[in-house]
Amino acid sequence: MPFFGGSALKRTGKAVRSWLPFFIAIPFLALIEQGIALNPAFRLEYAFQNINHIGIAIILAVSLNLVNGLTGQFSIGHAGFMAVGGYVSAVMLMRGPEDDPYRIFFVLAMLTGAMAAALAGWLVGKPSLRLRGDYLAIVTLGFGEIIRVIIENTPFFGGAIGLSPIPHRADFAWIWAVAIVTILVAKRLRDSTHGRAFLSVREDEVAAEAMGIDTTGYKVRAFVISAFFAGVAGALSGAFEGNLAPQSFTFVRSFEVVAMVVLGGMGSITGATIAAAVLTILPEYLRAVANLRMVIYSIALIALMLLRPRGLLGTREVWDWWRKRRPPRVPGRREASEALIDVRHATIRFGGLTAVCDFSLEIRPRELVALIGPNGAGKTTVFNLLTGVYPPSEGTIKVLGRDTRGLSPHAIAHLGCARTFQNIRLFRELTAFDNVRIACHHLTHESMAAAVRQGALSEQEEKWVAERSEEMLEIMGLTHRRNELAKNLPYGEQRRLEIARALATGPQALLLDEPAAGTNTREKTELMALIRSIRDRFGVAIVLIEHDMKLVMGVSERILVLDHGVTIAQGLPREIQSNAKVIEAYLGEKYAKEHAAQIAAAGSPR
Amino acid sequence: MIDFLQRLVDGVSLGAIYALIALGYTMVYGVLQLINFAHGDVFMLGAMMGWYASSVWTSESRDPSIAGALAVTLFSMLVCATVGLLIERLAYRPLRGSPRLNALITAIGVSFFLEYGGQLLFGPNPRAFGVLPHRPSSVVAGISIGYVDLVTILTSVVLMIVLQRIVFHTRIGTAMRAVSWNPSVAALMGVNIDLVISFTFGLGSLLAAVAGILYASKYPSVHPLMGLMPGLKAFVAAVLGGIGNVPGAMLGGLLLGLAEQLVSGYTSSSWRDAVAFGILILILLVKPSGLLGRGAAEKV
Repeated sequence: MPFFGGSALKRTGKAVRSWLPFFIAIPFLALIEQGIALNPAFRLEYAFQNINHIGIAIILAVSLNLVNGLTGQFSIGHAGFMAVGGYVSAVMLMRGPEDDPYRIFFVLAMLTGAMAAALAGWLVGKPSLRLRGDYLAIVTLGFGEIIRVIIENTPFFGGAIGLSPIPHRADFAWIWAVAIVTILVAKRLRDSTHGRAFLSVREDEVAAEAMGIDTTGYKVRAFVISAFFAGVAGALSGAFEGNLAPQSFTFVRSFEVVAMVVLGGMGSITGATIAAAVLTILPEYLRAVANLRMVIYSIALIALMLLRPRGLLGTREVWDWWRKRRPPRVPGRREASEALIDVRHATIRFGGLTAVCDFSLEIRPRELVALIGPNGAGKTTVFNLLTGVYPPSEGTIKVLGRDTRGLSPHAIAHLGCARTFQNIRLFRELTAFDNVRIACHHLTHESMAAAVRQGALSEQEEKWVAERSEEMLEIMGLTHRRNELAKNLPYGEQRRLEIARALATGPQALLLDEPAAGTNTREKTELMALIRSIRDRFGVAIVLIEHDMKLVMGVSERILVLDHGVTIAQGLPREIQSNAKVIEAYLGEKYAKEHAAQIAAAGSPR
Repeated sequence: MIDFLQRLVDGVSLGAIYALIALGYTMVYGVLQLINFAHGDVFMLGAMMGWYASSVWTSESRDPSIAGALAVTLFSMLVCATVGLLIERLAYRPLRGSPRLNALITAIGVSFFLEYGGQLLFGPNPRAFGVLPHRPSSVVAGISIGYVDLVTILTSVVLMIVLQRIVFHTRIGTAMRAVSWNPSVAALMGVNIDLVISFTFGLGSLLAAVAGILYASKYPSVHPLMGLMPGLKAFVAAVLGGIGNVPGAMLGGLLLGLAEQLVSGYTSSSWRDAVAFGILILILLVKPSGLLGRGAAEKV
């Protein structure tokens, strides 16, 4: 428990400092509340009503942004979770004590409502987030509607008329204090290793899994946290308005929140905040054309998707325009240990096609093995088997002594088996640095709560992750590309970045899928040296799929040849060069026969 | 027993309508991998256009004729097909190749545009609908089959047979299936993808228009938001049968209609709407590829 170790005083100081914006804001909020909002002389009741609506909208937009923007999933049932939180807390408040001077009971009711919403989020998210695609949208839309129907038909919740009077417990200071907390929590999550995990899910789920990120787990977490804050917003809304009616939780409400997130920029917290404020105020000025409001919203949304698909701010924050980047740091060092891959009689069939048949392979520590064969021989499929993308139809695969049956790709990455992809799968919209940092994810230990609290541990870890990532970039000669978006790198550097990313997961076995594809002769020579140096420096075993024979023969210590899913030969490079079956597979039977004498001569020096 | 059979008949009739809408979802998903959220609103537009046409053409006669009903239906099919094509051309086509999330947001935007644009044009209040002639229910072995149900079931069966012929026995149907397997390869083989996708939207919208008229005849009231729930349920039906799979959508629609009628008949009608989403969650948990769908692993 890191919370109890080290200097308690230092940590408390740190925790207090990390919440400084909050503590500074509280007296100001209270002052504004007492001095202006409640002062009849100013006649600002109406203005403050709007300001409070903005606060609630910010909580909703920032929390939904976690799912729709950061994690790239699509929920359109936020109003449903808001309703759950609102009704649960309202029912409690209406049965609670008459007087609640310190708002202890109110906070309790609000948290209960939020937990109920989070629970609902878990129930809805768990089955639908397991799948890729757009199911979440439909399920959440359906959920939002069902919640409303249930409330309308339940007398306990006031039916169609709604609940009233709910004790007025939330006012300006409360709403805005919670809004600030929401923004801080969202920002801290986003800037932590967990935030990078969310982003990686949005960018490329397959690659994220291969880098050791539990994509389903992160989707569910984002969704539950988001539902929690929607519940908080519902509780505040009820305790501020003094009543709750099911009509205010229709899908129109959800849609408004979606519009805020999309307009503000998918993934930008400041964007969501600003959009929440604008879209809450705007209708006040559009009263004359109230009927047009939803039409305008929908047209704006379509136009935005066509013209500026990432939203107005994109993933950036307002302050990104004037923030300076820190200079790169000097990297440290880390050593890997041993014990590795053992495949026994693995077979995989896709329908009637046997892609890989009775495949066996043992990789010892620090070995450099090449996997070659004509196109369609099943080489990449072997990698997919090793990394758990496909389960084998028959046979066993052990990584570091552990049977990988039933393990998902991220769990296998945790065991120490990292890969690159033949058709480069970087997180295209993220920087080179972030690509590598995501890969460090599973090596970190900080919990989400710690990330939000910003304790000493998370700071140390963040520093370590940054250093490690800089080191990987340096080894691959990419330091100068640190802040470039991955998609803008030249092809060869994208391939190197993939290797840097795989290395950052701290593998014992590194699987490289055609690292030299599309590079020229000079680059190939460099790559050969690089592969050797990676092996020597990190002590990893490397399995290489490659078509370039010069590279394969030059770098590998052992070669395994696949053809039509069958292992036709394995041995030292020299043995493979003169193996009749291999030559036949590559050059055809006819050529092999015609040149039999020549081949025999070439292979004889042994 | 009679009671049960009666609900079965009602369920088949409702299910047939769901199936007609679900076909539009599933065909578009097949060729574009896009959940066309606006499809439920095209269905609404079908009913709306039916109401407009009938109020102009058949208002003088209290009892509309079969010919009138046919003309009204054809008119609304025409309008819906045009709108379907326009939606595809203006909103979806520019986004082809961009992330699916963007297409989905656009689809929702289009859906809201139709709903609230509709509200602006037609006003939010429900209107009474009557396109089909009033005929007494037929009673077979104690089960009463409403005239509307009879027409619904017959029309749907005929349309589904026609659709089956189109998809599996015509050139354009073959092209549709080719595009759904692999659009870029289909394009290399000389299939005009744009044409096929437009055709798919048009075809789906035609079916939605008919479904709109039938639905409005069964529940005789039309309003701009009427497409939401049937649209969602039809989508559930498409997922239940296996999204992208044409016979699956028919089966899914039928099963959903039956389940809904049986549940609302034996418990309470307020649980009707919960059934569909219960089924959706269940199918996502147990067999996400749907009853007739094929599981597809993403190629790495």
